[in-house]
Amino acid sequence: MPEPVLSLQDITCGYGASTVLHGVSLQVARGEVVGLVGPNGSGKTTLVRVASRALRPAGGTVRVGGLDTYALPAREAARLVAVVPQDLAPAFSFSVLEMVLMGRTPYLSSFGRGGDEDWARTRAAMVATGVQHLADRSVDELSGGERRRVVLAQALAQDAPLLLLDEPTTHLDVRHVLDVLAIVRRLAEREGAAVLAIHHDLNVAAATCDRLVALHRGEVAATGSPEEVVTADLLRGIYGVEADVTTDVSTGRPSVRLAVPSEPVAPLGRRAHVVGGAGRGARIIRMLAEAGYDVSVGVLHASDTDANAAERLNLLRVSVPPFSHVDAEAEDAVRPLMREADLLVVCDAPFGPGNVANLRLALEAAEAGVTTLLLEQVPIGERDFTGGEATALWSQLRRRARSVGTYEEVALEFR
Amino acid sequence: MRPGGRRYRTVIAVLAALLLASVLIAIAAGSVQISPGTTVRLVAWKLGLAERPDVPVSTEVILFQLRLPRVVLAVVVGLALAIAGTLFQGLFRNPLADPAIVGVSSGAALGAIAVIIAGGGGLLGGLGVSLAAFVGGMVTAFFVYRIARVGPAVNVATLLLAGIAVAAVISAVMSVVMSFAGEEIRSIYFWLLGGLSARGWTAVEVVGPLILLGTAGAVLLIRDLNLVSLGEERAAQLGVDVDRFKWQAVALGALLAGAAVSVSGVIGFVGLMTPHVMRLIVGSDHRRLLPAVLLAGPTFLVLADLVSRVAIAPQELPLGAVTALVGGPFFLFLLRRERRRASARA
Repeated sequence: MPEPVLSLQDITCGYGASTVLHGVSLQVARGEVVGLVGPNGSGKTTLVRVASRALRPAGGTVRVGGLDTYALPAREAARLVAVVPQDLAPAFSFSVLEMVLMGRTPYLSSFGRGGDEDWARTRAAMVATGVQHLADRSVDELSGGERRRVVLAQALAQDAPLLLLDEPTTHLDVRHVLDVLAIVRRLAEREGAAVLAIHHDLNVAAATCDRLVALHRGEVAATGSPEEVVTADLLRGIYGVEADVTTDVSTGRPSVRLAVPSEPVAPLGRRAHVVGGAGRGARIIRMLAEAGYDVSVGVLHASDTDANAAERLNLLRVSVPPFSHVDAEAEDAVRPLMREADLLVVCDAPFGPGNVANLRLALEAAEAGVTTLLLEQVPIGERDFTGGEATALWSQLRRRARSVGTYEEVALEFR
Repeated sequence: MRPGGRRYRTVIAVLAALLLASVLIAIAAGSVQISPGTTVRLVAWKLGLAERPDVPVSTEVILFQLRLPRVVLAVVVGLALAIAGTLFQGLFRNPLADPAIVGVSSGAALGAIAVIIAGGGGLLGGLGVSLAAFVGGMVTAFFVYRIARVGPAVNVATLLLAGIAVAAVISAVMSVVMSFAGEEIRSIYFWLLGGLSARGWTAVEVVGPLILLGTAGAVLLIRDLNLVSLGEERAAQLGVDVDRFKWQAVALGALLAGAAVSVSGVIGFVGLMTPHVMRLIVGSDHRRLLPAVLLAGPTFLVLADLVSRVAIAPQELPLGAVTALVGGPFFLFLLRRERRRASARA
């Protein structure tokens, strides 16, 4: 087998502390069109940025034509990899011809007006994308579809063996989608370009790619021909949707028909209760609400950060005036909320005489069999202002509940 | 409009003619009038191209010792400010950026004021102040750049904010320093408002080469300026070493602005307005923009200096005040017109 044009080996990458890609490997051969699919946040764009030399991976190797692009000067790398970004809005307005000619940058000197080869390549790219008649128009006068084709022409003018496309067809009408994809397909067939394209539309991906790679949570969930990748099982597994997958009679490719989603992530009527305070619960409250839970919160001091967060989301909340103690009335109000919750999350808030009753109530609920999570990013010792009572309750709770250290773990728990 | 297009060539020819005309008018005007013909003949004689015309020696002295050095200084300072403005507007992808943006102007002003107050106003024949201003400007720009740099990468938004914050701190320090000033306060104010009076040839000889060097460097950045306007990531994808570009643009812009400020004091609006107006006329392609700016910046400053010299002669108006008084309203008018056009298009 000939050496692939693009070879990504075991790529690990992230932004700051969060890791987005966990050991992804992927190859694209000469003349091959590979589609990258997967739900939002699965790491598609990150992977393309890694391949385009915009984001140096923390681990793994990137090879284009056998060379490490991160070790090459920008100019030489740009002769190997051309990128079509989602969209491009120049701060200043250029003519279409100027825009496309910029694709020749890696071949021109600082003063170069461009040789015959450069003008010929530019013209060919404009003909291929059907923008030659727009040559002297200003790009900011163009429609979205025209501008997208200009950007594609710019990338084609780079004359690179690898072409990366980040959702080349979003916001395009169906005619332009077909045009753009036909251009890309021709490029692969005639010029032998290797193409890696992110696609949101699975039908488009299945119909226009030789091979698909499905990403899920930063890992390759499936790879192979469209028939092998686009299956009802995969769609359920990574997108969480039910779909009919049939074979399109005219193309022989798989075709997806989505069933209307039957239920939200959390089945309707699932209740969660959060014990927070001092802002330690705000993020959990939001996560649970977004996941479809009916969330209640308390007992909190009014005007506490968590109380405000709950108020903004219009959640059911039990509170007592600032600096006061949780009284019998508040206890009676919150007890059923905790008892009847499907999930009880106790956050690592500071506990003092005023709110330690929450821990007692949570322990009762946990002992009564309510699924309970303890968020423990801050050790209880550092936030016990009761002289030991909170620590004692916390360790009792720990025996009944599951301790989690990160928000990601919490999210896994209720997904 | 292609770089070689006919309309563009016309624009450049008109700009060049305006520059020449404004230089001749600026030389002509004053208590002793020197006609353009006399000027041309005297210069030709000095260059060894013609016989000495029959004019009084006093005319010769006024031309070569007073008018010409001042006009030439206006040309190079105008050039420096306008090119620096073009560089910063390109770097920040923002048409409102100007040479003051990375703190060069305020740093230079602080350097100059410190020396004036310390009684060094006469140092090195007056060049001590210029030297201090130049050093102050460069040190400030470098400091701001270092703040915004993380590893090899510089975030231009951070650079912008750091520049504004540092400039604010420096002007606070200036106020403190100025409270120690006695009779020097007049020369400080004059410096803060900018001016080109009585600099002679020395100033031209000192900053001229620096400014020409900086301008040549800016010309080498034309292509990268165009590409970076598409966004940094896109420019990198098309083969630009973006980190190196940013360093070069800041260094050249600071050099040009620092050199200008060191001999003329703080003169606003030239660096902001010239590239902006030229962009409206010749478009955004820096290959067309830079030559136009190169001619328009000097013209603007030569004319502004002329006004400052003759408006209330024999008194002089501060040059910075003239550029702001003339430039400000015109700039507002342009903004207004642009907005109308934009809304008409939408």
